[in-house]
Amino acid sequence: MYPIWEVPNLTAGIILALIATFHILPSHFSTSAMWFNVYVETKAYRENRPELLEFIKRYSLLLLVFSYVLGSLSGIGIWYAATVANPRGISGLIHNYVWGWATEWVFFIIEVTGIFIYYYTLGKVDKKTHLKIGWIFAIGSWTTMVIIVGILSFMLSPGKWPETGNFFDGFFNQTYWSQLLMRTTLMFGISAAYAIAVATRIKNEDVKAFITKTASKWGIAGIILGSILLLWYLKTLPARPHELISILAPKTLKTGMIVTAGLLILYFIYAGMKPLSIRLIPAILAIVVIFGGIWSTERIREMIRKPYVISQYMYSNQIIGKAIPAKAVAAEANVINEKGILKVAPFVPEGLKEVNDANALQAGKMIARIECLSCHTLNERGLRPMPQMVKRLEFKKEVEKAKEVEEIEAFLDGLGGYPYMPPFMGTPAEKMALATYLDSLAIIK
Amino acid sequence: MEMGTILKTLQDPMGIPFYPVVFQALMVLTFALHIMFVNFTLGTSFLSVYGYLKGGENWTRLSRSLAKATTVNISMAMLLGVAPLLFVQVVYDPFWYASNTLSAAWVMGFIFIMMLGYSLTYVFYLKRDHKTGGGFAIFGIIAFALFLLSGIIMHALGYQLLQPEKWLNWYIKGNTVDTSGTSLHAFQLPRFLHFIIPSFAMTGIFLMLYAWYFKNRADFDKGYLEWVGKTGAKMAFIFTAIQAVVGFWWLFSLPAGFSFFTNPFFLIGAALGIVLLVFLYNAQKDPVKYAVPGVLGAFLTIFGMSYAREALRMKYLGRFDYSIFNYKLNIDWGSTALFLSTFVMGLLIIGYLLAVAYKSGRTSGEYVATPSMNKWGKISIALLLCWIGIVAGLGIIISVRNYL
Repeated sequence: MYPIWEVPNLTAGIILALIATFHILPSHFSTSAMWFNVYVETKAYRENRPELLEFIKRYSLLLLVFSYVLGSLSGIGIWYAATVANPRGISGLIHNYVWGWATEWVFFIIEVTGIFIYYYTLGKVDKKTHLKIGWIFAIGSWTTMVIIVGILSFMLSPGKWPETGNFFDGFFNQTYWSQLLMRTTLMFGISAAYAIAVATRIKNEDVKAFITKTASKWGIAGIILGSILLLWYLKTLPARPHELISILAPKTLKTGMIVTAGLLILYFIYAGMKPLSIRLIPAILAIVVIFGGIWSTERIREMIRKPYVISQYMYSNQIIGKAIPAKAVAAEANVINEKGILKVAPFVPEGLKEVNDANALQAGKMIARIECLSCHTLNERGLRPMPQMVKRLEFKKEVEKAKEVEEIEAFLDGLGGYPYMPPFMGTPAEKMALATYLDSLAIIK
Repeated sequence: MEMGTILKTLQDPMGIPFYPVVFQALMVLTFALHIMFVNFTLGTSFLSVYGYLKGGENWTRLSRSLAKATTVNISMAMLLGVAPLLFVQVVYDPFWYASNTLSAAWVMGFIFIMMLGYSLTYVFYLKRDHKTGGGFAIFGIIAFALFLLSGIIMHALGYQLLQPEKWLNWYIKGNTVDTSGTSLHAFQLPRFLHFIIPSFAMTGIFLMLYAWYFKNRADFDKGYLEWVGKTGAKMAFIFTAIQAVVGFWWLFSLPAGFSFFTNPFFLIGAALGIVLLVFLYNAQKDPVKYAVPGVLGAFLTIFGMSYAREALRMKYLGRFDYSIFNYKLNIDWGSTALFLSTFVMGLLIIGYLLAVAYKSGRTSGEYVATPSMNKWGKISIALLLCWIGIVAGLGIIISVRNYL
């Protein structure tokens, strides 16, 4: 256990979610934009339409600045946020998938050098060479998705990895192909929305109409195929996450996904019919709608991973829940239940290591920070706020305080029974301390 | 608990998938490349603003080139920073995570500071000619200040990491803990300067390379290039000399018990530095001739110094009996082979891209690829497709075996 970072009202996890969701806009744009570019560029050369190159220039500049300034940095930001929000989680991933990430990094170098050279050599090298650079970027960039989806899907559905501990068994897990194909098709919808936005800035009406019409076709195909593949993806989910969708995912998120897809298809159809009528603001709004859709989908994906951060291995609160014998990794429950979480975790004040009547409240808060803070804020308001949760459970009906604490302790005993909650871990004295602290939360206001 | 014991329990129980010496070598090599581009970024960013404000034909022209170069340099610095960031978490996870979580707000701040700094660099580059009289300098100045601040954050994280004996004091206040992550706890001026001063020396070498690279282009004035080369060589020499002084300052500020001045890694690094200094002194006569060996020599020095930095880290952490060579091993040949083969393939493809850039930059008009360049390009695309074919094939075999 490492020191804890507490973000008032939000939790560190939400910071991670925000950055990760934002990152999808530039990253999926990057993996798909060049396919659109090489298509248009090939057409420009074959049909001798040099005016189309104006679009190429603008579209690649957007790609360069948006994907390789904000995209690269938010990508690194995901790592940083994971580092401070859930260090043991990211460490577990890295110690399994370091070579996967290192492999992705090789393609990242190809992407970055590729986009700079593609942009700066347009019109300065012969056509065939320029197209070759485009193709290298397009394939190389998509390959980063081929790799990262393996690691991403592993977190939710680790496949045979818990038994074998094998890199590839975890990588090519049961949701790998469906997720890869779903993202691959959806990315064309994303690049189409950007292409239309860029086209609104082009004066030449023929070019504008051509780009918008082409993009609208790519967009419709991408969204429809992506939605179908999403259904396949849902089918490939393991039983527990599947069950959690119906329990946990709020209706708004589900509606958000469906409304987004519907709105986007209508938008693309309209753009295809009246390509010259699209202005910049609505085109940007379409991208905002995409963001909303992605936010809903990614939030659901995060929620259904509960109670784990790495499914079948590590709980959201960074405690190793299940042993991985193939890697000689033991579960931590027994040690924690026997010695106490405050003794096992190193970053705990000396005065709280041993729970007694005098320090119960402080010790309880420390335990809440270690075991609950990854998903619940301890503030009155915000993300799944602990005080509100405790109030909702109505322990306050009891007359005696001792009885209330006892009741909360009983509740903590049954915590593991909820499909999305990790069990409480610690000694009986620590359970009492946590219950005392939780009880105190309900009286503050 | 003893700190040594704490560090052992913090290590990831998964172990590492290959021999630690390989991760260490990759970490040092990629860090050296990373810090070289960090230096280029800071130096070109500073000089592009300086030239813009100073004005005059030469400085304005150079400033424009450097503003463009800064955008590429930052990208390269970030790109090359990803690898050491990954490898440090493999072998030094207890230290990296503790140091980061202790200053978590700054860690996240770093990302936003860089985003803003990088965006402003583009504004400075793309919009600078829209207004005369230095009106856009402020964007460049803020960008440079933000990059420097990012450097301070990274320095603090790297230095906190070396002092596990202080972690508990930084985090624990009586019976409660400071979970805000809003403090940077450690800063050592000579160490920090030793990372920053080379920015100006390296940018000097960058200018020498610039003069060398464009020397055959008809559209580049000879007098201008000569001026750039001389300015560069002068900068490179002066700042390398300053760097040597700062280096000794840092050396003498280290704990005496380390006896670092007799450490072979330090001695090699210092020797390389001195050879570079003499070399740069000679380069003043003909900067263009010395440009390419100059940058190679400078990189070799940075690489040597990076190994010395790693040796110093091992000294710091050896105080707690921590050694990466005792890390639990769970060797995974499959994924190791995947990376190494991809890496070799990647070098071939990146080589092609860089060759196109190099040749087109040296041509005044449109560059037309030779047949051998065309072949290289085709092979690059074919390699990428083969890679996808092989990995997809492997994936299908594993999926069929596991799920059908």
